[in-house]
Amino acid sequence: MSDTRFLDQGAPPERFARGWHCLGLAKDFADGKPHGIDGFGGKLVVWQDTQGNLNVLDGYCRHMGGDLTQGAVKGDEIACPFHDWRWGGDGKCKAIPYARRVPLRARTQKYPAVVRNGQLMVWHDVEGSEADHDVLPPELAGVGTEAYTDWTWEVLDVPSAHCREIIDNVVDMAHFFYIHFAFPTNFRNVFEGHVATQFMESTGRPDMDGAGYGDEGLVLKSEASYFGPSYMINWLHVDYKGFETEVILINCHVPTGPNSFKLQYALCVKKPEGVDDATADYIGKRYSETFKEGFEQDVHIWLNKAPVQNPLLCEEDGPVYQLRRWYEQFYVDKADVTPEMTDRFEFEVDTTKANEYWREEVARNLAKKAEEDAATPETADA
Amino acid sequence: MASFIPSSADTLEDMLLYTQARLTQVACLDCLASVGVKKNSEHHTSIQWNAAALEACPEFARWDASPLGREIHQGCARLVASIDAAVREGHIDIGAEDGY
Repeated sequence: MSDTRFLDQGAPPERFARGWHCLGLAKDFADGKPHGIDGFGGKLVVWQDTQGNLNVLDGYCRHMGGDLTQGAVKGDEIACPFHDWRWGGDGKCKAIPYARRVPLRARTQKYPAVVRNGQLMVWHDVEGSEADHDVLPPELAGVGTEAYTDWTWEVLDVPSAHCREIIDNVVDMAHFFYIHFAFPTNFRNVFEGHVATQFMESTGRPDMDGAGYGDEGLVLKSEASYFGPSYMINWLHVDYKGFETEVILINCHVPTGPNSFKLQYALCVKKPEGVDDATADYIGKRYSETFKEGFEQDVHIWLNKAPVQNPLLCEEDGPVYQLRRWYEQFYVDKADVTPEMTDRFEFEVDTTKANEYWREEVARNLAKKAEEDAATPETADA
Repeated sequence: MASFIPSSADTLEDMLLYTQARLTQVACLDCLASVGVKKNSEHHTSIQWNAAALEACPEFARWDASPLGREIHQGCARLVASIDAAVREGHIDIGAEDGY
């Protein structure tokens, strides 16, 4: 059967991506306690020092491997629960209460950390490079002020898929119909440098009883950019039955192992005129629930699908291969990043035929449903 | 060295096919930029820039120099017009070949 298409599952990369990764909302780490975060094949410890800075180190003590996330914050340092070795935010051991001196080699792995838009970002690079502040996600004007609701924060565990699966969504026009129940009417991608962007306009499907984005009254204009390998800012203009809202959705992840990651998302809403804070928060929570449904639909697909190195594409598909070429820049040594990976690339998906076919399919579904409803006898009095 | 390692040589062929096949070089009518263009249909357009083309484009340079910088999605209208002209003159084949 030489005509059979071979599904190349390939092998996932042996390293984690170079770049900034978001670990959570800064305020959630600011309680004077150590916090454990699974990431990069191990565990990280996060704590706030007396100056209010957030520090991030490898979670295991270099002495005898004690779990620092179960230790205590003492002064500015994190103290190991096993033998009380004290580690500073710069990665150096500052004191060993029972020892004459601290060994010179007592340095552990430190993750350079920055708080951006109220979120804790850490730099990861297997080559151990200096953190590159030029490639941090942009500051969001107004976020963190009275003009916006507070960030929501949710985490979904994806225990058996590589995080490239979620990256692929950047170019996946058709899955918005099948997985998220929306008609993507406009769809465009631009990749350049460390940024990959998706522009989309969509309308909810009327045949899905409001599941996912499947609500005819829901019209989205969406601009979503990955700034580096793991952190996407999605600016959403949402029109729900004429009620317009500006939503900022953060879709980010931390790889936890060679084939697993934590999907995290945060959302805030520009408070609409004449709406009180409680109502604005409620609107934010409702949108967060809508996107939760969307992410869960994605996760269900990833946990059951095969990895594919050689996707077979049709004319209506987005530029999967070019997106992956862009993504590759974060998995090779900095010196091996080629111009092709970062050169500007623009792609306009032709959604006209797809939407014609989908409109027909939805019309058939609605007709069938109407027939079934008509055939069902009234049972209220039975 | 690829990090996501394919297990078949055909996969490398596919990578080249989808990223490079049928790209026609289109020179901008207004500047020295030249980009690779593919059109699978009237409405579809794929534009592959390189560093030299980006440097040659005065529109992009103008945006780069503005205080807020250049928005990533900002395309060059002159280039789009040049591509449209190339299509009208029959320099670009419209249509996909088996999905690429």
